[in-house]
Amino acid sequence: MSPAEAETSFFSRHQFLISRLFSLSGLIPVGAFLVVHLVTNASVLAGPGTFQSRVDLIHSLGPLLVPIEWAFIFLPMLFHASVGFAIIAGGLPNVSSYPYVGNVRYTLQRATGMIAFAFIIWHVIQLHWMGAPLGGGKFDPHHASSSAALALQPVGVAILYAIGILSAVFHLANGLWTMGITWGLWTSPAAMQRANWISIIVGVLLGGAGLGALAGMRRVDVEQARAIEDRMDEMKRMLEGREPGDAPLVRPVATSAEGN
Amino acid sequence: MAQPRVLVIGGGLAGLAATMRLAELGVGVDLVSLVPVKRSHSVCAQGGINSVNALTRQQGDNEWKHFDDTVYGGDFLQHQPPVKEMADWGPRIIDLMDRLGVPFNRTPEGFRDQRRFGGTLYKRTAFAGATTGQQLLYALDEQVRRYEVEGRVKKWEFWDFLEPVLDASGRCRGAVCQDLVSMKFKAFPADAVILASGGCGLVYGRSTMSMVCTGSAVSRAYQAGAAYGNGEFIQVHPTAIPGADKLRLMSESARGEGGRVWVPRTPQDPRDPRSIPEAERYYFLEERYPKYGNLVPRDIATREIFDICTTDGLSVEKDRLCVYLDLSHLPREMLDRKLGGILEIYEKFQGVDPRVVPMKIFPAVHYSMGGLWVDYERSATGGMEEGSIRNQQTSIPGLYAIGECDYQYHGANRLGANSLLSCIFSGLFVAPSVAGLATASRAGEETPRLFEASLRRQEERHEALLGRRGGQENPYALHQELGNLMTRVATVVRRNEQLAAAYDEVCVMEDRWRRCSLSDTGNWTNQNVVFTKSLGDMFPVAKLILKGALLRDECRGAHYKPAFAMPGIAATDPAGKRREAEAWCDRFEANTRKWLKSTIARHGADGHPQISFEDVDTSLIPPRPRLYGLVGADVIEEVWKERSRGAADDAPAATGAGRAVAAHV
Amino acid sequence: MIQLAEDSNVGGPGAADQGNGHSDTMAGRTIHVRVLRQDGPGGESYWERHAVPYEPNMNVISVLQRIAERARAEDGRQVAPVAWDCSCLEEVCGSCTMLVNGRTRMACSALVDRLLEEHPGEIELRPMSKFPVVRDLKVDRGRLFRALERVEAWVPVDGSYDHGPGPRISPEEQEDAYPLSTCMSCGCCLEACPQYTKIEVVQREGESAEEFERRRTAAYDRGFVGAHAISQAVLFNGHPTGRMIADERLQALTSAGGIQVCGNAQNCVAVCPKHIPLTRSIARAGRAATVWAIKRLFDR
Ligand SMILES: Cc1cc2nc3c(=O)[nH]c(=O)nc-3n(C[C@H](O)[C@H](O)[C@H](O)COP(=O)(O)OP(=O)(O)OC[C@H]3O[C@@H](n4cnc5c(N)ncnc54)[C@H](O)[C@@H]3O)c2cc1C
Ligand code: SF4
Ligand code: SF4
Ligand code: FES
Repeated sequence: MSPAEAETSFFSRHQFLISRLFSLSGLIPVGAFLVVHLVTNASVLAGPGTFQSRVDLIHSLGPLLVPIEWAFIFLPMLFHASVGFAIIAGGLPNVSSYPYVGNVRYTLQRATGMIAFAFIIWHVIQLHWMGAPLGGGKFDPHHASSSAALALQPVGVAILYAIGILSAVFHLANGLWTMGITWGLWTSPAAMQRANWISIIVGVLLGGAGLGALAGMRRVDVEQARAIEDRMDEMKRMLEGREPGDAPLVRPVATSAEGN
Repeated sequence: MAQPRVLVIGGGLAGLAATMRLAELGVGVDLVSLVPVKRSHSVCAQGGINSVNALTRQQGDNEWKHFDDTVYGGDFLQHQPPVKEMADWGPRIIDLMDRLGVPFNRTPEGFRDQRRFGGTLYKRTAFAGATTGQQLLYALDEQVRRYEVEGRVKKWEFWDFLEPVLDASGRCRGAVCQDLVSMKFKAFPADAVILASGGCGLVYGRSTMSMVCTGSAVSRAYQAGAAYGNGEFIQVHPTAIPGADKLRLMSESARGEGGRVWVPRTPQDPRDPRSIPEAERYYFLEERYPKYGNLVPRDIATREIFDICTTDGLSVEKDRLCVYLDLSHLPREMLDRKLGGILEIYEKFQGVDPRVVPMKIFPAVHYSMGGLWVDYERSATGGMEEGSIRNQQTSIPGLYAIGECDYQYHGANRLGANSLLSCIFSGLFVAPSVAGLATASRAGEETPRLFEASLRRQEERHEALLGRRGGQENPYALHQELGNLMTRVATVVRRNEQLAAAYDEVCVMEDRWRRCSLSDTGNWTNQNVVFTKSLGDMFPVAKLILKGALLRDECRGAHYKPAFAMPGIAATDPAGKRREAEAWCDRFEANTRKWLKSTIARHGADGHPQISFEDVDTSLIPPRPRLYGLVGADVIEEVWKERSRGAADDAPAATGAGRAVAAHV
Repeated sequence: MIQLAEDSNVGGPGAADQGNGHSDTMAGRTIHVRVLRQDGPGGESYWERHAVPYEPNMNVISVLQRIAERARAEDGRQVAPVAWDCSCLEEVCGSCTMLVNGRTRMACSALVDRLLEEHPGEIELRPMSKFPVVRDLKVDRGRLFRALERVEAWVPVDGSYDHGPGPRISPEEQEDAYPLSTCMSCGCCLEACPQYTKIEVVQREGESAEEFERRRTAAYDRGFVGAHAISQAVLFNGHPTGRMIADERLQALTSAGGIQVCGNAQNCVAVCPKHIPLTRSIARAGRAATVWAIKRLFDR
């Protein structure tokens, strides 16, 4: 061990471990969540009922949902993001001098990481907590499709979503490929090329799912969906023996959405 | 100095081998080099390194034959015991380099692969792709780095050796060097100083050598009193790629792997070489030397190529002399595997793919057989006595020379792939000698004062150079002039009138050098002053080369004077042939008696070299004529054999053990 | 014996001139060169323009040689020659790395004809940006060599005494190792690497040379080792004897500034003048590090 080693910080002493955890967290759970999330949302293409039942399935976790969300989504994501920002701060992109494909991807990986992160923060706050003030509206798990459709109605919001989704998807697909190099899964140039195809396919499929979900949500017939969702909610309540009004529903702020 | 400490100047193969061994023996080493040692000129060596090996041994080869090839190839101008020792060490050295991780090419079974080089009939040359020198150098560099981490070696890279420091008795006590970055001077007291500073190609302007091969270190030792041996023997490599800044080597391995040299039979045939039919190609080396073909020794290949272009007017191009070196008939895969590196060089610098189109090549200055005179102690078995402090010691006690900068191993002509061997060998071999000396000798009282005086002298020289005003001479232009002159008169063909005139011209140039003014007078990384200094030190070397060449009225190895050439046999009838052969042998013997002597130059107080001649120890293998391809060689050989048989009966083996410096000329 | 021409004034070797497939239209033209100069470490850098007559087959080294010879800027001002490093002039020693037209490469193999095709009118020369400038185009690449010490890039032999030949090695292994072994420490891979950032340590007032060196080494050791060193570690971890200290190299590769800093931009492999498969080495080192780290987790 070099003399420098002793006087270095915790972070530099555990740099390897941290960056491997960083790499891992990008795939599991953050990347895995992204896949589940986009595929779930894409189920809206099969109709508001299908989507609602998927959402219901997730929400059947009840009170456990919040800790699970934090433990497996938000915290890993925050970890991934903060290490990511540190890495970005330590690098010095130079695509203008070296416009090679690999370098462009390297730079895009950083750019999309930052975009995706900003998007996710906004996305969560907008859909989960604040709703309209941040554009669109708020998500209602009992009226999944209709509330989402309303939230995504504004064109500006939809565009931001498209950018956010594609950034996240690129970041994951490209990250998958670099991860394979980092961990030593593919080592030869030929293997890297093959792996590249895998990452392209993953990217295209996921991108398709994400954009499909977005388009699907926006195409939902709000009235019809609401009817279906109300019916499903009714049935659930009956099954669980809940009284109407136990879970106060926040009505989507239809006015603002429609007024846009 | 509590611990023994040795100063090594130069970190090429020789310097690194010595450093590694010294560190291993527990001696502290200061390693000084103009460039980071990993960038030394040895990286350029492409072809390979010779030694007897398991395979050739089974084909009848042995160390003695390697030794014999080396002295025969060198036209017997080297003392034989060191050469014998080197050949004996060959296999061990290759094994060692193998253990150090050199990626030698392999046979399918995993043994080291070998190729054939010029001047031998055996496949003795081990190689690592086409960058053998680089690979060998890196292996040693890595070991030295390891010792550096352990604190046994201290490197001084980007430092220039300025002069050895001698005490009143004339013994070397260290040296003064200069930091090329801060331009500061520093004294390096040492129990011994080893010079491993390589060749002096820059004296010829452009050559196949690196930009650091100025010969400055050797020149400075020479000017401080060290004797210089065989300076006039400069090897011109037959195949190089002409370039504006450098003449890049096309390794002999290109021929070793089957490359063929030819010219179109029609002078300056304008056709694409690929479309010239076999019958209209003149494979002149193969036709003139059926036994060795394209692998005749270097001096012969060089003269033939030179000759075919100048005398026969068969140069491929009109305004630029060159011949074809053709690899295009060989399988691409094999070329890539075995010669990739050098073919890339051609492609990179000429923009043509040599796997498809024949290369255009011409001879270029390549190696200096001469160098600092060094001593050796003969062992009972006729080799060198390991550990003797005389081994590799220059005429200045305590100052040693190894590698290309000594004169010891290659006589009048070096065989391909023998230099890497001699560099590593002399480096490894000098270490125990110096280690013994380092522990035995202690610096005297007066040493600090010696260093002060030396430092002051160097500082003054430096300041004077910086302070020079109004001079009209441009050092770079002057260097080109020197190079062109030396290349014209002192390479392939030498003539006395030209040499004499050139000597005077060089003296004038040296004078003009004193009027060089600097365009950079600063004291930070001033490459201008460093270059100008080393240019100044090229003149003494140029003069000793010219003087040696002028005095040596014969043909030997790389030194060729048409006026003193011995023509072959003209007669056609057996009796006439016989008579001429007898006469030829008489003349050969007379010539041997007169000229089989090393040229020893000493720097005179007047700045002119004082030349004397030293007998050569040929006690192990008596000299015999080199008859490669001579007309009537068979008859001469017959006569010669009869004579030597007779001589062997008369007197039991020639002695020639004398090493006294003989008669002044 | 060989008969030679009585008149050999045709010129010795190399005296005859060269010129191979260049465009004649260039003859008599001038090459404009813009050099980013700096008089010493930490000093201000400034641009200086030079003009040199075009010659066929020129490379950047010969351009710099002409500049040194002229010692005048384009405007006629007398200037000190530009400082730069070179040695072999055939792209094997690794000395002459610089930024030519904005891209890191070896000056000796940068042919003027091609540069002018790439960027007509002018050639731009800058020092490497990831290493401290010593002067003009000359930089201090000590950190690059220090990295070789960090990863113990050598075969740990017992010594130089005779122990017979080295290990048997198959031609496949040799062909795998050989390219890695041609790394000439030029630093192109580091210059182009977005993850390799400049570390310049300045000697403090009153600090001894040894203290300064220790402090600088410590600073270097916290920085990224770089692609070249990772590749050397892979080279020696693949050698039968070198492998004996594989763990030590992996330890180095996984400590601060180790392989984890690589961001897979793959610039290194794109600019390496020796075409060393650096990303393959990086991935191999990554794999070895993964296995090693997991093993360590369970073996400890
Ligand atoms: C292109 C080419 C190809 C060759 N191929 C082969 C081959 O295939 N086989 C073969 O056997 N031989 C070959 N040779 C010859 C062989 O490469 C050299 O003879 C050999 O490398 C010389 O090694 P060295 O250690 O003596 O010196 P070098 O490697 O030249 O090292 C000299 C050292 O001295 C230092 N130095 C010089 N002057 C000073 C100074 N004033 N102050 C401080 N340091 C100084 C330099 O920095 C350098 O470190 C080839 C030569 C050339 C030119
Ligand atoms: S692959 Fe790694 S080492 Fe190579 S340029 Fe990219 S970040 Fe640097
Ligand atoms: S890996 Fe390539 S670019 Fe990097 S130092 Fe080695 S030769 Fe140069
Ligand atoms: S001078 Fe050696 S690589 Fe350019």
